[in-house]
Amino acid sequence: MENDQLIAIEVFCTSYNVEYAFVESLQEHDLIETVVLDNTRFLQIPQLTQIERIIRLHHELDINLEGIEAIQGLLNRIEHLDREVAVLRNRLRFYEPGL
Amino acid sequence: MAFVDYYQILGLDKNADDKAIKNAYRKLARKYHPDLNPNDKEAQKKFQELNEANEVLSDPEKRKKYDKYGKDWQHSEEFERARQARSQAAGGQEGQWFGGGNEGFSDFFESMFGSGFGGGRQARFRGQDYQAEIHLGLRDAYETHKQTLTVNGKNIRITVPAGVENGQTIKIPGHGGPGSNGGPNGDLYITFSVSTDEKFRRSGNDLHLKADLDLYTAVLGGELVVETLSGKVKLPVKPETQNGSVVRLKGKGFPVYKQEGQFGDLYVTFDVKIPTNLTDRQKELFTELSKS
Repeated sequence: MENDQLIAIEVFCTSYNVEYAFVESLQEHDLIETVVLDNTRFLQIPQLTQIERIIRLHHELDINLEGIEAIQGLLNRIEHLDREVAVLRNRLRFYEPGL
Repeated sequence: MAFVDYYQILGLDKNADDKAIKNAYRKLARKYHPDLNPNDKEAQKKFQELNEANEVLSDPEKRKKYDKYGKDWQHSEEFERARQARSQAAGGQEGQWFGGGNEGFSDFFESMFGSGFGGGRQARFRGQDYQAEIHLGLRDAYETHKQTLTVNGKNIRITVPAGVENGQTIKIPGHGGPGSNGGPNGDLYITFSVSTDEKFRRSGNDLHLKADLDLYTAVLGGELVVETLSGKVKLPVKPETQNGSVVRLKGKGFPVYKQEGQFGDLYVTFDVKIPTNLTDRQKELFTELSKS
């Protein structure tokens, strides 16, 4: 992972107004991955959208991390199925171009 | 502008206490939250309504005003004066919940309470995510090109990479609505709608084409010039080529998305045409041929 694709957890916590312990608990639940460089722990910037979603679910809907873990799994499945539907729809268009 | 029944939206009666309002909002928000209903515009709309209802009913001052003037908002001079004062105080600031995907509160809400949230919330707001659709012809999607689209009154110039698929969505980070209180901008999601082509049919990165082949070339062999998306090519035709037989032109298909220099293949299906309006001499020759 390139260094410009990393954000220090301290910086993240300050700008997103969340506790360091919260980010640690996300990692303990395998909801995110962190990287350690020179004794500093970083988040991967491409994961930010996912982390923002977790924060919203936790803070706005009061869903605990176990619930978020289950939701993440289901959302990943939905995403996979959506992609599959798109591929199948495009394949169907091959036979029925009007679709 | 229609009256909005916030109690009905939350499934509550008018005597509901704060706890009941909070519970009803939480329950319904969990059902309709945009993060739990990706790409579901109905759910986003419903969530927006819930937010609006909760914003009013969970704030004692707003709830009081709503209960007092709600249905008669059009006739309340007092309300109108208060609204104007509030509107000035709000300074026209527009906020979006961190939850995103919102398109602003209803006209009813804005008339009654102004466009600002009020209430001294200090939380950072992430800008709303924007959705846009770009319609392309199959041939447009063949080459990387720039395209300008207008999103919420702003022109955004994007690069459309060659090989985009119908229904594919790309994210342009930070080009959504502006964040407030130092919150980040939302993102712009662009979905491509790629139309079908009269000649070429696409299957992933491969293209398929039907080419007319005259009977004589099919029987005796020869050459056929076929159109590809990168120009015309001369195709050798083997003797005794059958109707419906397929040849593959390697690398003459569709560009592979974000894999520069890589292309799918073009499959050409021969459609052998039987000659018509034969002369007597030609018929004679065919008869002779049939007896040989």
